[in-house]
Amino acid sequence: MNYVHRHVLEDLITGFEGSSNPHHLAVLKRPTVFSVLARPGREADARNVLANLQGVSVRISGPGEWLVVSEDVAIDSLARTLQDSGTGLFDAVDQSDGRVVLRLSGPQVRKILAKCLAVDLHADAFPVGASAATQCCHAAANLARTDQDTFELVVSRSFAGFVFEEILEMGREFAMTAGFSAG
Amino acid sequence: MASLIHCPHCGSRPKEEFSIRGDASLVRPSPSASDEEWHRYVHIRDNPKGRYKEHWHHAFGCRRWLVVERDNFTHEVFSVTDAAEAAKAVQA
Ligand SMILES: [Zn+2]
Repeated sequence: MNYVHRHVLEDLITGFEGSSNPHHLAVLKRPTVFSVLARPGREADARNVLANLQGVSVRISGPGEWLVVSEDVAIDSLARTLQDSGTGLFDAVDQSDGRVVLRLSGPQVRKILAKCLAVDLHADAFPVGASAATQCCHAAANLARTDQDTFELVVSRSFAGFVFEEILEMGREFAMTAGFSAG
Repeated sequence: MASLIHCPHCGSRPKEEFSIRGDASLVRPSPSASDEEWHRYVHIRDNPKGRYKEHWHHAFGCRRWLVVERDNFTHEVFSVTDAAEAAKAVQA
């Protein structure tokens, strides 16, 4: 039996074609997302182990709690790595099918996000590498700055369609395009 | 988004990210306490004006329970602590 992987935003993205504008919303096709919770008292050790993992991005989601996101490391492989390196320090659960990763980029991306987000996104307050659990378009979202003009949002699968459409609406004045990421 | 709460874990966030549970000064009675005492604990609330301690849940941020001490008339916030820390301080 074959299972065909369909992204939850597949129907919303059909019709968006070809070339992307300077302001673009990329949906990661098959991201790897794990949530990690540190054992009580082991928060600092857990953070150190996560910081040394290769090919992943670690996002803050609460005290002693993180989202580990990757485009390159496969789910099975990261599951094994986290299992091996986390013994006694933290527990990790695969969220890859339950979360959707949206990547917004463009010179005015902060202006777009400011329409529905209450975190100060100035580079002094929220530099590249910073992340926060917050609210975006009334939905719970994890926000990270991955580059000067690039932000990533991790939202739960069931809210992804709504958030996706809201962001496109907010990006309309900058002719924002959308599509699955090439990777 | 006028009212900002300074979450000890997340920093300054708008009140829209939180949900408020209510009075944080109540102490749960012992299981063998009288019906009258339990009735007071579950149902009876003062409605004070001024400085007030409340449980706030940072539902859209760190998802931690916080104890927010604020003035419910001027909305001046005096302190915000993680509820677990606050409970430890009470027990100590
Ligand atoms: Zn918080």
